[in-house]
Amino acid sequence: MEDYKFLFKVVLVGNAGVGKTCLVRRFTQGLFPPGQGATIGVDFMIKTVEVDGEKVKLQIWDTAGQERFRSITQSYYRSAHALILVYDISCQPTFDCLPDWLREIEEYANNKVLRILVGNKTDREDREIPRHIGEDFAQRHGMYFLETSAKEAENVERLFMEIAVELMEQAKCKELPKYDGSLGPINGKTSSETSCCLRS
Amino acid sequence: MLPMRKIVHRACFVISRTVYMTCCCGCCSALRPRYKRLVDNIFPASPQDGLVKSNMEKLTFYSLSSPEKLDRIGEYLFQKAARDIYRRRHGFVIIAMEAMDQLLLACHSQTLNLFVESFLKMVQKLLESTDPQLQILATQSFVRFANIEEDTPSYHRRYDFFVSKFSAMCHSNHNDQAVRDNIRLAGIQGLQGVIRKTVSDDLVENIWEAQHMDKIVPSLLYNMQTAEKYETVTCMETDARDGLEDDPPRLAEACLRELVSRASFGHIRSVLRPVLTHFDRHELWVPNDFAVHTFKIIMFSIQAQYSYSAVEALMQHLDAGTCGDPASRTRVRAARAAVLSNIVAIAAGDSVGPSVLEIINNLLTNLRTSVARDSEKESDERLYQEALINALGEFADHLPDYQKIDIMMFIVSKIPNTRGKHTRADGMLQSILLKSLLKVGTTYKTSELSKAFPAAFLDALLRLSAAAGDAPPPLLLQRILHTLLDRRGNAHLLREPTVDYEPLGLSVGKCSRPDLIFISKHGYAIFNSLYEGLQLESNSVENISAIYTTLALLCVELASDETVCDMLQLILSIQQSSLSNPVLSVWQQCALHAVCASLAALVCHVMLLPALQQYITQIIAARREEAPHLLPPLHQFDQLSPSKMPSKLPYLMIDQMALSECLSSCGVEGSRLSSGARYGPAVHRHSWVEAGAAQGRDSLADISAGPTTDLDSANSSPGVQRRIQYDDLDEEYRMFIEKYNYNHRPTAHDFGTYHSGQSESVSLEALVSAARGPSEAERKDAEKRRANLNNTFRTAPFTSLLRLTQPKYEIKDKLEEIFNSLSEEPLLAPSANSPAAKCQNAPYNKYFPELFLY
Repeated sequence: MEDYKFLFKVVLVGNAGVGKTCLVRRFTQGLFPPGQGATIGVDFMIKTVEVDGEKVKLQIWDTAGQERFRSITQSYYRSAHALILVYDISCQPTFDCLPDWLREIEEYANNKVLRILVGNKTDREDREIPRHIGEDFAQRHGMYFLETSAKEAENVERLFMEIAVELMEQAKCKELPKYDGSLGPINGKTSSETSCCLRS
Repeated sequence: MLPMRKIVHRACFVISRTVYMTCCCGCCSALRPRYKRLVDNIFPASPQDGLVKSNMEKLTFYSLSSPEKLDRIGEYLFQKAARDIYRRRHGFVIIAMEAMDQLLLACHSQTLNLFVESFLKMVQKLLESTDPQLQILATQSFVRFANIEEDTPSYHRRYDFFVSKFSAMCHSNHNDQAVRDNIRLAGIQGLQGVIRKTVSDDLVENIWEAQHMDKIVPSLLYNMQTAEKYETVTCMETDARDGLEDDPPRLAEACLRELVSRASFGHIRSVLRPVLTHFDRHELWVPNDFAVHTFKIIMFSIQAQYSYSAVEALMQHLDAGTCGDPASRTRVRAARAAVLSNIVAIAAGDSVGPSVLEIINNLLTNLRTSVARDSEKESDERLYQEALINALGEFADHLPDYQKIDIMMFIVSKIPNTRGKHTRADGMLQSILLKSLLKVGTTYKTSELSKAFPAAFLDALLRLSAAAGDAPPPLLLQRILHTLLDRRGNAHLLREPTVDYEPLGLSVGKCSRPDLIFISKHGYAIFNSLYEGLQLESNSVENISAIYTTLALLCVELASDETVCDMLQLILSIQQSSLSNPVLSVWQQCALHAVCASLAALVCHVMLLPALQQYITQIIAARREEAPHLLPPLHQFDQLSPSKMPSKLPYLMIDQMALSECLSSCGVEGSRLSSGARYGPAVHRHSWVEAGAAQGRDSLADISAGPTTDLDSANSSPGVQRRIQYDDLDEEYRMFIEKYNYNHRPTAHDFGTYHSGQSESVSLEALVSAARGPSEAERKDAEKRRANLNNTFRTAPFTSLLRLTQPKYEIKDKLEEIFNSLSEEPLLAPSANSPAAKCQNAPYNKYFPELFLY
């Protein structure tokens, strides 16, 4: 049933092989695909979650990390409400690339976009980036921070739920006074449409 | 609140239904609105049974008869399908979609609007599912919808999601190859649908915006590049355009063609930019097969009038940043230039006016930056330059001839004048530009010499040949002259000097009148420049041979009684110089003698002058006996015994007196020969630009003089008359010039002015050059000259001024004489115009002629 009240677009970015697709799969399908191949271009998933008794639809665009697809992935940033920037805690280079990614986000995404830094693969023994380093970085750049493990399903649900909550709050303080009197399904549609409009 | 009437109606309806209906739907269905019951009825009990056809017909009929219910039907169908998707009852979803399709097709276009909203929601819902089957189904429905022409605009409809999703589908990475292909195909079809739906309608979303194009174009290219081999065809068969292809690359190609062909001028850039970025990102420039393929497709499908912008975009991208080490950057650049040379020909046919020069200018600028960047070790840079020059040639090859000349003049004007400071880069640039010139020149088919060599162009060429000191430019220059002179395909036969022309089978024709006029005008300058070219200390065998070829071609092309004397005179001059020029080494002297002998033999061969032939044959035979080193082939040798020096063998030389006699015995006027050698470094270099500029002004003056003449001679037929006048003038002038050539050794001033008196028939070319005005170089030159002149007249003593202007009296007087004789002829109307003008002009013209040129 098309009874969601809000529609949010979430885009995942980050170097190749940090586990973006696995995070999405874990969240949307509840599984961890071993031996997941590299994403080509862009992948798309949808998941409806419930926040405060209201349904929120998350459109999740999972982008390829490979350099050669950068031009098409960039085109997806623009309409995003939230950007999840992922790195691999067991791989220093993926962390070192973060400033580049931020620059790209700065250039192509909406400046009010919600940005979340995610250190993935906490299940790995060979951690290279201590938690506080990641936290510092996130704080410096005004991002939310979370460490996750797609394999162990650790913090994955929380990551997307917090995004949904945060985005809904943002949407509500902007739009509740305006669309107070409207009716159910129409309201859902309109508010989601308007929120895209406001943001793109 | 429902209105009272409706409640009553509904109540009656319910009663009647409950009375008559005892069907499977049960009594609860009777309480539902009719449209809901009709919708419910189309679903079978089990999804395998498929859509209930008869009930579907009922629903269709209902929706047609009460179209105001369409939106609710759509909404209800959508809700049912959404529930079924959630419960994973895909069979019912498919049935719902099918029903929606049928309704969509059955709807009248006025009422369609009401239904489309829920239809698209349904499609989106299906696309959001992870099941490939549903996604493909949704795409098919969408394509069906996209093919319907709507007549009501829908401002609020957005295709954002569809573009994003279809692009994602184009990149599908499904494990199963067949499924993957199907999803990708569906994605491309979907994009095609979006394009069709939006491109023609200004009110809906602007598909050309970067956010859409950045998704659509790379998706198409990504699918195209996976093809095993690239076959470019000019245009695709029509059936390929309707998404019937079952191969993603081909369908993607068809889609790209459609997209490009629909792009207007403002939008073509938004297609090209992502294309270029895609090639950069995916490193598809080296090797460039795919890039060539793609750009050809673009060129074939782009609207012809915009093809120029594709070329321009690629050209601007030549230098665009790519990461990586310098070597690979250069390789990429070279590959891009190669792509450019592949497509530029396609654009040439449709390019007109300024865009042509724009392209040429752009290419030249790129060449210049390349030269500036050039370091010796990089052979890739060389490749890049070659590719650019090729592009230039390809482009010029497809232009009409008059534009080729324009282009050649343009290139010549870009060649740096290295007379003063001579840097290595300048030399490089010069030789590269000359190479480009040669490339363009080879595509030009000379018909008339005067067309191939407009005065300014010829002047620039000759000036270059005088200025150039290095080895490659003179050779290149001669090559350019060869290609432009050689109308009969003799150049390759005359590459090396020879005395035996019989076996070569040269093709010789009669020299036409315009050519004669041309050579009588410019012959001196050309011969002199070639003559000087032979006097250089640095000459190699190659250079001398090249100059020989030029001379031989001139001789063949301009074979006529009038030119024989000039040729022989030149031969004598060369022979003389080889004896007297101290800078020439021994072998060079001998080479010049060999060239003289060859040319003399050629003149006889071409002109069929038996006496002369006999004489020359004698000399050649004698040389063969005694001094074979004075005959071709040319050799570069160090030693020669003193007794064999050419100066010691006067009896083997071509004798001027003997030549004169031979000529007169053949009935050719040979007295001109006796005036002696007329070529040499002592002659002051004159400016051909001046002559050219004067010509341009004259043609304008002719036009402006035209109407006045008409007015004055209202009762006769002025057009015819003027024509005759010109012809007479022409004839007179030719005689005059010939006479002039006998008597005078032209000086700088003479050359500059006697042309200004020459009346030419108004040609298109003259008009063009007059309209265009003087070029940059010409302007500068003129400025300098003006300053000089001012200065001279301010500072120099009167006597010297008098002396300076002295020689003009003669010419001016002669001109007047001719004018007078013309106006006295009975054919001419006694127009007050020309004598009056002459009277006005005469006094000050005499004293300060140059001052009043401007």
